[in-house]
Amino acid sequence: MISLDVALTLPRFELRVETDLAGGGVAVLGPSGSGKTSLLETIAGLRPRARGRVVVDGAVLMDDASGVRLPPEARRIGYVPQDALLFPHRSVGENVRFGLRSGARSGLFDELVEILEIAPLIRRSPAAISGGERQRVALARALATEPRLLLLDEPLAALDVELKGRILPYLLRVRDALRVPFLYVTHNAGEAAVIAEEALLLREGSVVRQGPTEAVLAAMTGERVDPAARYENVLAGALEPRAAGMETATFHAGGARLIVPATPTEAAPGRTVFTVAPEEILVSERPPERVSARNRLFGRVMSVRETPDGTWLRVHAEGIAWTVRLTHAAEEELALAPGAGVWLTIKAHAFHRLA
Amino acid sequence: MTADDLGILWLTVRVAALATVLILPFGVACGWLLARWRGPGRILVETVLSLPLVLPPTAVGLLLLEALRRNGPVGRILDRAGVEVLFTARAVVLACAVMSLPFLVRFARTAFEEVDPRLLVMARTLGDSPAAAFRRVALPLAWRGILAGTLLAFSRALGEFGATILVAGNIPGRTQTLALAIFQRTHIGQDAGAMRLVGLTVALAFAAVLATEALTRRRARRVET
Repeated sequence: MISLDVALTLPRFELRVETDLAGGGVAVLGPSGSGKTSLLETIAGLRPRARGRVVVDGAVLMDDASGVRLPPEARRIGYVPQDALLFPHRSVGENVRFGLRSGARSGLFDELVEILEIAPLIRRSPAAISGGERQRVALARALATEPRLLLLDEPLAALDVELKGRILPYLLRVRDALRVPFLYVTHNAGEAAVIAEEALLLREGSVVRQGPTEAVLAAMTGERVDPAARYENVLAGALEPRAAGMETATFHAGGARLIVPATPTEAAPGRTVFTVAPEEILVSERPPERVSARNRLFGRVMSVRETPDGTWLRVHAEGIAWTVRLTHAAEEELALAPGAGVWLTIKAHAFHRLA
Repeated sequence: MTADDLGILWLTVRVAALATVLILPFGVACGWLLARWRGPGRILVETVLSLPLVLPPTAVGLLLLEALRRNGPVGRILDRAGVEVLFTARAVVLACAVMSLPFLVRFARTAFEEVDPRLLVMARTLGDSPAAAFRRVALPLAWRGILAGTLLAFSRALGEFGATILVAGNIPGRTQTLALAIFQRTHIGQDAGAMRLVGLTVALAFAAVLATEALTRRRARRVET
């Protein structure tokens, strides 16, 4: 349980966040400059001018009313910034150990090295490893402090799509294996959907929406709160083992069984992640017949939003909430409304494997 | 080379080393504060600390002499404590320290400025107090620059003349360093003896500056990669 009631005067506006979060994974969404990073820094104790109250799992980290203000080192809040910020004068292993305290659980280091698969990197210099690897090390280093809460500030934004894919499954693993609650700042709706149950939408320092990630994202697609946001569909699931030489593979995500392109690298840690662009999904009123596309799903329209760059649908089909973008003309012809039953048709090759 | 020459060399190296060791903690602290502190008086402090670089050394020497006179502001306290400074080896150390401090401060400041402040913030979130973050992150990342500054300060101390002669005089066996001895020997016509000392100073300075250069070069290369 994370209880926030904080205020911080920023050059352009006042950051004012008063909310209670269940714990688990929370996505912090919002346009650039809406105060997302300032909020994380306030929680971590890096903003001396912040006012108010921060309570994480019963521990009061800051409370003006009772004069409590723990310094960052006493808060036990893990922080993973966009550029990892590993210590350049220490090896990867020493970076991870940096956060270990004398009272740390024995075996923690080995456990982190295993979960994040950094054993081969331990002796290397941070300068000699890839961006995705650096993020994994930064994550391990933050987790070595056995944090009450993990703050992830766009940890994937600096990575290109391919690298991003390599870290997403690790984040999912950390979430499931270590059960550390986290706040995850992102511009990517797909990432938010796959990693966080709850979402917070900030605009000019205020929470404009909060709730299940699904609901917040549905609202965002229409309101264009964040022009930089990306809305691709991100699906986490498991690949079915396949016979060698097949050109497609079977992927289970949500309640769906999807046909996706086979990729040469089969050995993915834990879960596999695929994305589909919202433009790549066809919508029809009747089941499509005799089409080449391999995936046909029936679902219900949850919301329809008009924006200058198209009509955005959220469709619930086989346990997955899909974001679909149509042209205005196509939408008018179909005359879709929430609750309507529709068929989604997706080519196998519209799925891109992230990990 | 005579025993006299070696005695002068030994005294010079000793006072220069002592002066360097004495200014090290203060110089590093000043460098750190100037690199991090963004207060209004910063530029003023920086200027005052750099003055010995640009003032004639004799002017600095005279100011020190005035301060240390028996009825001067500092001299009075020292006198009461029974500490004699003027015209002793202590005065040489003091003159060398004051004259070489700006080199150390400048190098340390630059070295600390090159340390990404966000790395220190990371150290804090990982459980380090400000002092621990300084020790575990700032110092190890800046040590090369600090060492280069220390060597340069030491080289400057080796050659100190103007301030030293005013506060310590030129007393053979007590306060006479290489620079002072060269001056004295040329004055009394011992040109060959003066040249021998010049040879010694060249060798010392060469080694110190070479080490400084090597350190700063490697730092520059590391930044490029």
